[in-house]
This record gives sequence, structure tokens and C-alpha cells, in this order.
Amino acid sequence: MRMKEWFVDYIRRYWRRFIVILIVSLLAVLCGAALMYTSGYLISKAALRPENVLMIYVPIVAVRTFGIGRAVIQYIARLISHDATLRILSEMRIQLYKRLEPRALLIRSKVRTGNILGLLSDDIEHLQDVYLRTIFPSIVALSVYFIVIFSIGWFSLSFALIMAIYLFVLIILFPIISLWMTKKKSQKINRQRNHLYQNLTDAVLGVTDMMISGRSHEFIHQHEKEENEITKVTSTLHSMSRLREFMSQGIIGLIVVSMIVWSSGMVNTHQIPGTLIAAFVLVVFTLSEIFIPVSESIEKISQYQTSLKRLVETSHFETEESKNELDHIMNPDKVTIRLDHVYFRYDNESEWTIHDLNLSIKQGEKIALIGRSGAGKSSLIKLIYGALKPEKGLLTLNGIPATHFGEKMSDFVSVLNQTPYLFDTTIRNNIRLGDQLASEDEIKRAAKRAKLDEYIDSLPLGYQSVVDEMGENFSGGQRQRLALARVLLQNTSIVLMDEPTVGLDPSTEKDLLDTMFEAMKGKTLIWVTHHLVGADKMDKVIFIEDGKIEMQGHHRELMSKNERYRRLYQLDVPYQL
Amino acid sequence: MNRELMSYKGIKLILALISVITMIQSICIVFQAKWLSDIISSLFAGHSLSSVSHQIIYFAMAFTARYALSLLIKRRAYRFAQKTGTRLREQMMAKLFQLGPAFVRREGTGNLVTLVLEGISQVKTFIELILPRMSSMGITPVVILAVVFIENRTSGVILLVTMPILIVFMILLGLAAQKKMDLQWSAYQTLSNHFVDSLRGIETLKFLGLSKKHGTSIKRVSEKYRTMTMGTLRLAFLSSFALDFFTMLSVATVAVMLGLQLINGEIFLNSALMILILAPEYFLPVRELGADYHATLNGKEAAEAIQSIIDVPIEQKKKNLFSLSKWDENSELTLNKVSVFREEEGKMSLNCINLSVKGFKKVGIIGESGAGKSTLIDILSGFMTPSEGEIKLSENEHSLTSLTHEAWRKHITYIPQTPYIFSQSVLDNVRFYKPNASVAEVEKALEQAGLAELVEGFPDGIKEQIGNGGRMMSGGQEQRIALARAFLCQRPIILLDEPTAHLDIETEYELKETMMSLFNHKLVFFATHRLHWMKQMDYIIVLNQGKIIEEGTLDNLLNKKGEFHKLIQSQLEGLE
Repeated sequence: MRMKEWFVDYIRRYWRRFIVILIVSLLAVLCGAALMYTSGYLISKAALRPENVLMIYVPIVAVRTFGIGRAVIQYIARLISHDATLRILSEMRIQLYKRLEPRALLIRSKVRTGNILGLLSDDIEHLQDVYLRTIFPSIVALSVYFIVIFSIGWFSLSFALIMAIYLFVLIILFPIISLWMTKKKSQKINRQRNHLYQNLTDAVLGVTDMMISGRSHEFIHQHEKEENEITKVTSTLHSMSRLREFMSQGIIGLIVVSMIVWSSGMVNTHQIPGTLIAAFVLVVFTLSEIFIPVSESIEKISQYQTSLKRLVETSHFETEESKNELDHIMNPDKVTIRLDHVYFRYDNESEWTIHDLNLSIKQGEKIALIGRSGAGKSSLIKLIYGALKPEKGLLTLNGIPATHFGEKMSDFVSVLNQTPYLFDTTIRNNIRLGDQLASEDEIKRAAKRAKLDEYIDSLPLGYQSVVDEMGENFSGGQRQRLALARVLLQNTSIVLMDEPTVGLDPSTEKDLLDTMFEAMKGKTLIWVTHHLVGADKMDKVIFIEDGKIEMQGHHRELMSKNERYRRLYQLDVPYQL
Repeated sequence: MNRELMSYKGIKLILALISVITMIQSICIVFQAKWLSDIISSLFAGHSLSSVSHQIIYFAMAFTARYALSLLIKRRAYRFAQKTGTRLREQMMAKLFQLGPAFVRREGTGNLVTLVLEGISQVKTFIELILPRMSSMGITPVVILAVVFIENRTSGVILLVTMPILIVFMILLGLAAQKKMDLQWSAYQTLSNHFVDSLRGIETLKFLGLSKKHGTSIKRVSEKYRTMTMGTLRLAFLSSFALDFFTMLSVATVAVMLGLQLINGEIFLNSALMILILAPEYFLPVRELGADYHATLNGKEAAEAIQSIIDVPIEQKKKNLFSLSKWDENSELTLNKVSVFREEEGKMSLNCINLSVKGFKKVGIIGESGAGKSTLIDILSGFMTPSEGEIKLSENEHSLTSLTHEAWRKHITYIPQTPYIFSQSVLDNVRFYKPNASVAEVEKALEQAGLAELVEGFPDGIKEQIGNGGRMMSGGQEQRIALARAFLCQRPIILLDEPTAHLDIETEYELKETMMSLFNHKLVFFATHRLHWMKQMDYIIVLNQGKIIEEGTLDNLLNKKGEFHKLIQSQLEGLE
């Protein structure tokens, strides 16, 4: 397990803070105990009817001080422990981001959905609870344990031993037993809940099929059956923890009685003054508040393990530093892309995704890549971007292998994909991501070229409108236009487009393509598409099948020569009607 | 008090029961304190341990009884919470499957699933915690206060006065913190979502060459989030500080007052001790309530959200007499002035649709995005109730308000843009509508849908797991699974909502043949923006902004050179 990276490192870095937190929390606890101790002492002393109030003046002041002190110190303890945890949370986030960043372009294929990423961020928030809810309280309880034993040992060694055994049961034995007993059960619950989660997601996503097939009653019945099984297990867990709490209270009761017996014996033999009986007995009650919750804190460990496991599994890639071997001599305005016998596959056993591909694309050429899904089009785009490395062969930009560009690639190549991600910020900021130094004018010009300016101006907040809040008012076409403005601002000489118009209706698609082609004059354009609208505007159409080039040429050429191409085109374009 | 909570079945009974137990428990607390103080004061007075032995036994009994009762209360509350949770879940799920896809789209799948699983368990926690807290808040302090008053007026007054001060301060500070949070809420939201946002957009950031630099931005935002959170926490913790402060101060004051009275001989030691032991118990219920406040807050919100789903009215009238034994050549379906309003500002998704079909026919529905194609299909497939208008079905005497009826759904097959593949085997996926179909029947359907070869190639053949977590299938293959389902159950009515919009043309071309063989001798409603399908349709409806702007056979429409012709022209425009 990579416990070290997500856990031990933080303790090492923050140990000073942790010690302060522990000391302050401990002080808060001791203040509470001292309040009851001095109160008991105070009234016992008063019951002796001293001549003068001044005789009990010191305990009176002490009682008040401890009373106020406990509240104040508790407040401070809570603040500093939360502060430390938030600091750790922030570092964990950066840590996770740094782990994911180098593989950013491959995450999708590996982990599949964006939701998993959201889950990871939840996991991190779970992990911060380790400190607040488990580590700090447990250590404080342990420290109090030793303080109690030592202070009793000062009076009587044998009684200290008895107390040590009682409290040992409470803060060591019970937690260990309950962790051991609950672990398997909570894992089982987790598994079953996961299963329920998947099934329910399935049913909700397939709600139409559920309704039409009339199988929803059957599903609900099955779901309830499984929920019942879980409830059975959780019920045993609950009754176990209730019983444990009852037994813990029983031990506290036992301690109280033992304390009475012991202190009366001590008083009889004049080893302690009678005033201390009340003081000792009252303290026991305040301590129970610290010792009893330890078992519960420790039980949580199995939950953290689940989070930690997922974090390690999904975010731990072998990080290979991307190379930045690029010299600045290369001319970014005139880039030639060459593919020389390029082979690629995702793992050693599978079929070639790209099979012996040769291609040369000069600056300013416009290429349409066509083929069915899974033919290798998107992989080709990632190869050109340098995100994937060819297994054999050479893929170069002006003679430099694409994989050598690293971070610098974004100066040469920009990408428009199927679902451009728009960040939860203003339209202006979203466009500005293309070039962070861009002036207001440049942003507006980019929006104008993407034909989005009129729409933005019509919004009440204009460029200040927050993308997410617009929800459905921001259509698929408009989202693409915003992404286009971003790419235009990025101003690279090569643009890769990966099916940017999928799912749009024909007239929106046509408008968008017109805007795109117009805005991309002079740039190299590699456009992955799944149908043929607009193919006639390209310099070359390349048809890919099974990772190989099946046919290529200008649209007119293919129309006249290639029967298959003609057939497909007729399907796409309704002019035979 | 919480409205949802009080509406749950059996709540009054359980509350009464718990209150009775709490009452007994409070008496135990008082006696536990009394006997303990008697023991201590006897010992203090120099009596021997054996003289108090029976009191020690009484104390132990009271002490044990107190926690045994608390165990009992918890168990009762837990059981009630479980029962209520189960009932809520059943109601909610039943509603979910009645409300259908439009509702799911609006609420979001993730939201609904989380609400069913997490939300219900939050509600359970809420009920489980709030029931004992409510009764102990209402009973225990009162009992203790009464006893303290009997024993010693001064201490009673101190305790009595502190409680309202404490509660007022707690509420005031809580409100102040809330106000501060409200003020910063949007900034807060943005900051806390920033990280998730960054992770989801990491691919885009990488393409923009910003991903490395963005690490510093995450650090900056996280730090800002921390300082802001700490600002709020400083205020929020003040309310529990007030709780602690006044409790401790009050206990300390009681102790000092008792000390002074003892010196003056106005009270005996055993009474004083008893009051001192009872003082923290007096405040315990409030402190527990304060500590559990956040745990109950989520549950309260979840309870409201769940109730709002359960309360969504089902528009179909209960007594809507609906019968449809079969659909044949003579069956007729008529839509009369059917309209659908959208929720916001009176926009219409469908505007006064009149439509009549008889027997087996292939009806093409075309129009641009937002023209109302999907809404019309939703009405026809019985997923949605129109806002206005009526529907007549030949077999029914009276006109209907909607088709949202199981008897109707039994006759239809619905094929969406991306059919949903359940995480089950090919076999179970294909026979989803007809779970008792034999393997041979499924194999035949696969053959008809053009999947036989593919499935044979799978390592587990027809038993191969597909869907989420299983073998990934392409869009075209998923569509063929949907077709196989349709072939298997051969229902007379088929509705399709842009079934090929996401597919590449070659796949679409291959699917077309398969689909046409399925459409044979069936009533088909085919919504699409791919015009080439219209050649195979018997009747075409052109929708624009919720209205039927043109209808007729293909030849009719082509000759007319109207809207349909325009649609074709606009797609040809710019092409050679």
C-alpha cells in the first residue's frame, strides 16, 4: 500500500502542528476534569465549615478558572485542528492533481468516466477525517489514560494497576475487538451497497426499458430484498455497538464503585484527606466522555482504507516525465507532419490500432479523416498530439518526434473535441484559457470569429456570464463555438478536430462547420468526422479502416472513382430525394 | 418541529413510547445522583464502607438501569428509522418508474441514485438521532430542575436562568455564522467545486498547455478556501463555545454557591453533592443536540427532497378506463389538439398537434433540434402526459388524457438514440422485455438483428457480459441489441427517436436494412433529422417549433415544394 504518500508524509511534515493540537486538546480535557475535581473538593472543604470564606478562596477561584478555561481552550483546540486538516486537504489535492496531470490525455481510456474523478476528490475529503475524527481523539484519550494511571499511582500502586486494567479494556481492548468484528461486516456492506448502486444506476438509466417491459415492480422487489440483507447486517452492527456502549458504561460504573471503595479505605488509613473522596469520584464521570468514543473512532479505520485503496488504484500511474527536448529554432508558422510506417496498439496482445500508416501533411492542408468508430481515428489524433507513442515507425513535426514536444505541443497544435469541457467560470475566463495574456479586444475578436459575439452581447451579463449557470440556455452548438473561440485565441498553426459536430442537427452542424472552416484559413486542419457533410471543402479525404488507409483523395476524385464512397455520400446528402 | 418527521406513519406512538422510557430514565438519573452523594457524604462523615454497602448496590442498579433504558430507546428509534426508511424508499422508487425518462433527465441519474441510496440512509440517521434527542431535551432537564429546586432554590435559579441564555446565544451565533456563510456562499461554492472542476477538465487543460501551471492555481484556490472556511468556522464554533462556556460557568457557579451555603450551614453535604452531580446532566441533552446538529441537517434536507418526489402528482386520472387488447389493421389512434407547455415562461414544446393513424404504417417525423420530435415521441410512447388536448384510441369509448398506461406500453417498442445496455449477459439483455424467452428464440432474434456472428465470437458466447463493467460495444452494436429486443418480442408498435444520430454513415447504412425488415407489418413512428429515411416512410410529418407545418406522403411533399423541400434544399446548400 502507498500509505506513505497519502498519509505518513503528512504526519512527518506537520508533526509540530500536531503536537500543539494534541497539547491544547489535552489541556481542554484536563480543564474539564479539574473543574469537577476542584468542585468536589470545594464543597467537601466547605462542609467542614471553615471559619472564614477565605479558607476556600483558592478552590473557588480555581473552579471558575477551570470552568471558563475549558470552554476557551476547547474552542482553540477545534480551530487549530481544523486549520491543520484543511492545510493537509489542500496539499492532498495538489498531490492528486500532480499524479493525474502527466497522464491527463489517457485518463479517459483508463478510468473511463469523469465521475470517477469526482469520486477521487470525495475520497480525499474522507481522508482528512482520519486526523479530526480518529487520530487526534485517540491520542488524546491515550494520553489521558497515562495521566490518570500515573496520578493514581502516586497515591497507590495497586489501585493504579486495577484502574489501568479497567481503562485498558475501554480504550484498547474494546476498540480492537470492535474493529476486528466490524471489519468483515462493513466490507460486506460496502460490497453489497456497491452492487445496489450499480443495479440502481442501471435501472434509472434504463428507465424507459423498465417502464416498457413492465419489469419495474420486479426490480423494486429485488432491490428491497437486497436492501433487507444489508439492513440485517447493519442491524447486527448497530446492536453490537449499542451493547459495546452499554458495557463501556458498565465499566465506568465499576470504576466509580471501585473509586468509592478505594478512597474510603485511603481515608480510613489517613493516607488522603476526606475532602478528596468527592473530588476523585466526580472526576471519573468527566473522563468517561473521552474514553467511550474511542471505539467508534477506531472503527472508522476500515472506511478510510476503502478510500485510500481507490485513490492508490486509480491515481497511481508510473509517471514518466515528458521530455522537453525542443529547441527554439523550429518555425512554428510552418509545420509539416510526417508519419513514416507508424504502428500503434494499446497493449501487446491486441490488434494493431494503427497499422503501418504513411502520411505527409503540409502546412495549410485540410484533411478529413473518415471511418467507422473504432477504426483508429481518435488514436491517430492522440499520436499526432504526442500523447501516445508509436510502437514502431516515426511520427514527426518538422522532423522532431511528436512525443518530444511535451508541454510545448500546445504552442503548435490545438484540439477541438467532441465534448469540450467548459469550466465553471465566466465566458471571458473560458475563452481566455486559450491565451492567458490576451487583451479584452483579442477575446472579443476571437468570439466574433467564432460567431458567438451576438449571442454573448444579448446576455444580461455579457462576457461576465457564468457558463454553468446558463444550463440549458447554452446549446451544444454554442458550447462548441465557445471552445472554438478558445482555440482561435490559442492561435496555433495546426488544429485537430475530433468529431466536434456529433449529435448536432444538420443545420446547426452546417453553420458551425462553415464558421470553423472560415476561421481556420491558413491553418493545417485534421478533422475526424463520421459523416460526409463538408467533406467537399477539404483538400483530401482519408478513409481509415482497421488502422489502415482504405482510400484517399479529393472528394471529387473519390466520387467519380469509388463506388463505396459514392454510396455513402448519397446516404448522407439527401439530393437524390 | 419538522413537518416531514411528524407526517411519518406511527411517529406519535413511537414518540410517546420513547418519552415514557425517557421519563423513567430521568428518574434513574436523579436517584443515581442521590445515592452516590449519600455514599460520599456518609464516607466523608467517617462512616464505614459496610454501612453504605446497600446504597452502593442501589447506585449500581440505578446506574445500570439508566444505560439499559438508553439502549432500549436507541433500539426503538433505530427500528422505527429502518421501517420508515424502507417505506420511503419503496414509495420513491415506485414513483420514479411512473414518472419516467423526462423526470430522470431533469433530475439527473446521479442525483436520483444518490438520493435513493445515500439520501435514505441519511434520513434514517436523522430519525434515529432526533427521536431520542427530542424527548430527552423535553423531559430530562425539567425533571432534574424540579429536583434541584426542591433541594436548593439558589442552584435551581442558576440552572434555570442559564438554559435560556445558553440557547439564545447558541442560536444567535449559529445564525451569525449562517449569515456569513450565506454572504460568501457563491464564492464558497466556486472555491469548493474548483478542484472537481479542474479534475474533470484536466484533458482540456492539457490541450491548452495549461495543465502544469494549473497546479499552482489549485494551491492558491485551496489556500483561499481554507482561510475563508476558517473565517466561518471561527464564528460557527462560537456557538458550541457558548454552549461549553455557559455550561461550565453555570456548573462552576453552582459549585461556588453551594460552597458558600455549606459554610453558612444552609445546606447539607449530601444535597450539595447531589446538585453538583446533577448539574452537568441537566445540560447534557442540549450539548448532545448541538453535537448531532450537522448529522441531522443532511438528513432533514434529504427527507424534504425525497418527500417532494413522492408528492409529485401523477396526472393520469386513476379511473381512466383504458383498454387495448391488440393493435391491428383496424385500430386507430388520434391526437386531438395535443399541446405540451414547458415549465419556463409559457414556451410550448408541442403546439396543438392533430394526428390520426390507422393500422400499420410507417410515419416519419422530421424537424430540427428543438422542433418537438422527442416530445411527440415521449407522448406517443406514454412517457409523458400532454398539458392539453385529448387522445382517442379506437377500442376506447372515451377519449384519454394521455397514453401513460401499462396496457399501452405493453404494445410498444421504443428505440432511443443510445439504447441502454444493462450490465447483464447478451442473453438477458436481449430478452429484457420477455424474460422467459428461450435461448433459441434469443439466438433467432440475434440472427435477425445481424449480431449472431459477433456474439458467436465472444469467449462466453451468448452468456458474455456486456454493458457497464462488461465487454464494451460500439454504438452500432448497441443499436443492434435494441433491434434484437424488438425482433424477439414483436410488439406491433415501434417508436424510434433519432436512432442513428450518433452513428457513422457506414454503420447507419448497414443498420437500415435490418431496421426495414423489423418495420414490416408494424406501426412505426420514426423521428430523425436524417432525411434519407423518408424514402421508406408511408407518411411524413414536418415539425417546426412544436407545430406540424406540413404532412403527407413523400411524393406529395416533394411536389408541393413547401417546407419539406426547403429542408432538403437547406441541407444541400453549399454542397456542390
